[in-house]
Amino acid sequence: MIEPLARRLQILSLSLLALQLLGSDWASPLCWGSLTLVVMASLKLAKAQRPADLRRGLLAQLIALGVLAGLNPNLGPGLVQAATGLVLVAALLAQESGGGGNLRQMLNRSVQLLVVCLPLLVLLFLFIPRLGPPWPQAELGRGRTGLSEQLDPGAIAQLALDPSPALRISPAQEQDLPPADQRYWRVRVLDRFDGQRWRAAPAQGPAQAWAPPAPAPPGAAQQLWLVEPSPLSALPWGGSGVPLNPQITSTAKGELLGPWQTRVRRSYGLAASNQPPAWQRQAPARSDLDFAAGSNPQLEALAEGWRQQLAPAQRLAAAQALFQGQPFRYTLQPPPLGDVAPLDQFLFASRAGFCEHFASAFTGLMRAAAVPARVVVGYQGGSWVPANLWGRGYLEVLQQDAHAWSEVWLADQGWVRIDPTAWVAPARIQAGLRSGLAGQWADLGLLSQGLPWLRPLTRSWTNLDLAWNQLLRYDQFSQDQLMQRWLGPFRSWQGLVLVLGLALALALAVWILGLLRPTPRQEQQRRRLDRSLSRLAPLNLVPQPGESLPAFCRRAAAQLPELAPGLERLQTSYERLRFAPRGQERARALELARSLGAADRELAAAASRLGRRPVERLQSPEPP
Amino acid sequence: MREPFPDRLIRRHGGASHRLGLRTLYILPSGFGWLWLLSCGVLFILGVQGSSHGALLLAYLGLGLFLLAPYLTQFNLQGLELRCGSPAPGFAGDVLPYPVQATSRDQRLALGARFRRCEGDLAWNGSLEPGQQWLAVPWRPSQRGLQSPGRLRLQSSAPLGLFVCWTLWDPPAPQLVYPARRPGPVLELDRPQPRERHQAEAGADAQAGGSDHWRELTPHRPEEGLARLAWKQLARSGERYAKRFADPRPRPHLLAPDPALPRERALEHLSARIWQLAASGESYGLVLGNQTIAAGSGSAQLERCLAALALAAP
Repeated sequence: MIEPLARRLQILSLSLLALQLLGSDWASPLCWGSLTLVVMASLKLAKAQRPADLRRGLLAQLIALGVLAGLNPNLGPGLVQAATGLVLVAALLAQESGGGGNLRQMLNRSVQLLVVCLPLLVLLFLFIPRLGPPWPQAELGRGRTGLSEQLDPGAIAQLALDPSPALRISPAQEQDLPPADQRYWRVRVLDRFDGQRWRAAPAQGPAQAWAPPAPAPPGAAQQLWLVEPSPLSALPWGGSGVPLNPQITSTAKGELLGPWQTRVRRSYGLAASNQPPAWQRQAPARSDLDFAAGSNPQLEALAEGWRQQLAPAQRLAAAQALFQGQPFRYTLQPPPLGDVAPLDQFLFASRAGFCEHFASAFTGLMRAAAVPARVVVGYQGGSWVPANLWGRGYLEVLQQDAHAWSEVWLADQGWVRIDPTAWVAPARIQAGLRSGLAGQWADLGLLSQGLPWLRPLTRSWTNLDLAWNQLLRYDQFSQDQLMQRWLGPFRSWQGLVLVLGLALALALAVWILGLLRPTPRQEQQRRRLDRSLSRLAPLNLVPQPGESLPAFCRRAAAQLPELAPGLERLQTSYERLRFAPRGQERARALELARSLGAADRELAAAASRLGRRPVERLQSPEPP
Repeated sequence: MREPFPDRLIRRHGGASHRLGLRTLYILPSGFGWLWLLSCGVLFILGVQGSSHGALLLAYLGLGLFLLAPYLTQFNLQGLELRCGSPAPGFAGDVLPYPVQATSRDQRLALGARFRRCEGDLAWNGSLEPGQQWLAVPWRPSQRGLQSPGRLRLQSSAPLGLFVCWTLWDPPAPQLVYPARRPGPVLELDRPQPRERHQAEAGADAQAGGSDHWRELTPHRPEEGLARLAWKQLARSGERYAKRFADPRPRPHLLAPDPALPRERALEHLSARIWQLAASGESYGLVLGNQTIAAGSGSAQLERCLAALALAAP
């Protein structure tokens, strides 16, 4: 027979799943798979005639929940997922317990079960070996917003209008971060130019994964990086440091590649390193000088002059002088450049642009002047959110902080970062986008500010979210480190430790559940009475077999009159609580239970006072 | 009938009482439990493939519940004590309740009890509150006599349904089973058989001649009306008398099995006839071979006769 409460609870869990589906990325096929499971479970529930139907529907919901947990790993959806799991277990309990309980009891029981399961869950999470994906991961979707594989004029300016978070960096403290004007978080290197736009060279297969990073030095400062879904598979980083996850590799161009799909939020750790990054010394390829000859004749003519007259470092200085000497303007709304000679148009006519215009024109100039150069896209800046009650501090980088800059190859220094935007709008690099656009009210009006009163709330929530992700950033590498630290030379005993730990955790869970087993109200009252009466045992006052409570109270009061008030109150409270009519019992249970508690305390105090007296007097009371 | 696996491997536990403990309880994952485990495996693969900690945690939580479930299910039965009641007699072919007294200190959820030899829908289902409670486990005997219902299987899969825990017990008290009630001809001794009865009844009517079958005369009172007035006596003696009537006392039925029928069939017909006579309050007796039960009526007579039928030699 199907229990009505189980059916209602399953309807509730289906509603929670539907809520999560609404907030999921519909570009992912997994989302559609999850929707299919939810629809099937709903139909099964609507047509269910037997308990078996309900159970199968519940399993379908469980798998749909797992898929949604993969799609929405953030803290907020995580809480909804936990609530869904709780309701599912409650639905199972309601069905399998034969209708013996109400909604509150079932939810209570479900919470108890999940709490006692926590040690088991932690043990399994920590000790079961971490495995890599058994099958290659297909690119199943794309991030909603973010940088792209190519740099079109105006692309980053559009991105700058988006105030949503792009990434968070959580170091131990703010001092571990570079100064504000050095906060460049590189993502993608664009090294192909077709005369109008920059794009990345096509991937060359696994060989692109260039150098496995050296292991992190012991005790090095670590940062947690949390990256929102983005269209790029490359991960943001500062350009130096050692990934804690060995599955993350660095390419020859200084890009960081992880094992994840782009549709999910990614979390990884980086340890500080004293060594200069290897990609900085990687000699440029011939393609790093490629420039679409004839595409921008004025630029090429200028660069040709520099190439013939100046050394490479001086060509750099000449470019800086050009940008700083001419009336270039940093704006979110540059005039259109057209399809013909766009860089000429920007450098010699409009002179108004966003960071991609400056980076693109400068890199073009350098290549035309025979200095290997490339464009790097990523983020610059970010605002520090201090630690609070909910978690540690972090640097919040928004999509608004998207940025493009250049790198040039100087033989004695390797790849050197040059940001032409800093020459034109130094405030943008020092203090962020709003400062860079100071005074340009039309541009500032385009920037969304969000709701100011909501910011503290959202930041506190992000603190919590970071703490949650810090907890979950437990990958193969972290497991290796932890097992090495805990087990040392007995590392091979990991399985045995897991089994023993599970046995202990099971014993603990069973013991706790035994304690939590619901006892009838009368049984609880009797236990309280026994506990109260046991306080008199040191005074040699123990109920005799067959002795009623009133008789015992009379005997004890006669023997030790100081106990009489407490005993009388205890007896009255117990009898009223125990024998009250059913209707009144429930209504007055709290009041009577308090009265019983007060009587118990009174008795305990009296017994304690008497217990401090000489034993002889207690054992041989004077005859009345 | 051969018992299904794995019950046929389990040794028998008899005795008037049966305490459920580690030696008498058996536990295995239920079909739903295996599906649950499979779902946890699917979640694990989802978690590993998608590098999703959420799916992994869910898989581990499911596994944790699966590991915890056998203990919870066993505790739902452990400590329960079963005791045999005194089963009331009943008819073969009917569903009879077999009383089992259950004594428990704790609440027991979603139990099911059934005899292994019975068809699937005959079972007792319910929960037990602390204290003593009687379970009426239904079964359907097919033969008369002192019958034992066979092996009782008490099981539960509460509270999670992932494991099924059960015990097997052979309650020793047999139940007296009367022959099934099948209407049909029986032999009535000391009473004309149908053809003779017809002739006898016709003769009796002719002898009665429509006369009044009054038993005695008492002085007539005016409130008795003229219908009871004895006119003949009034005409003869001039005194007014009232007639006192009495129904003719029916002769008791003395029943015996019809020798023309197979023995068991004849007993079933007798069972039906006795039940019918008892229901109409008539008097009856029974002759079974050398055993004779004098005519009588009432529930004691009914039980005596049916018990004789139940235990009659084949």
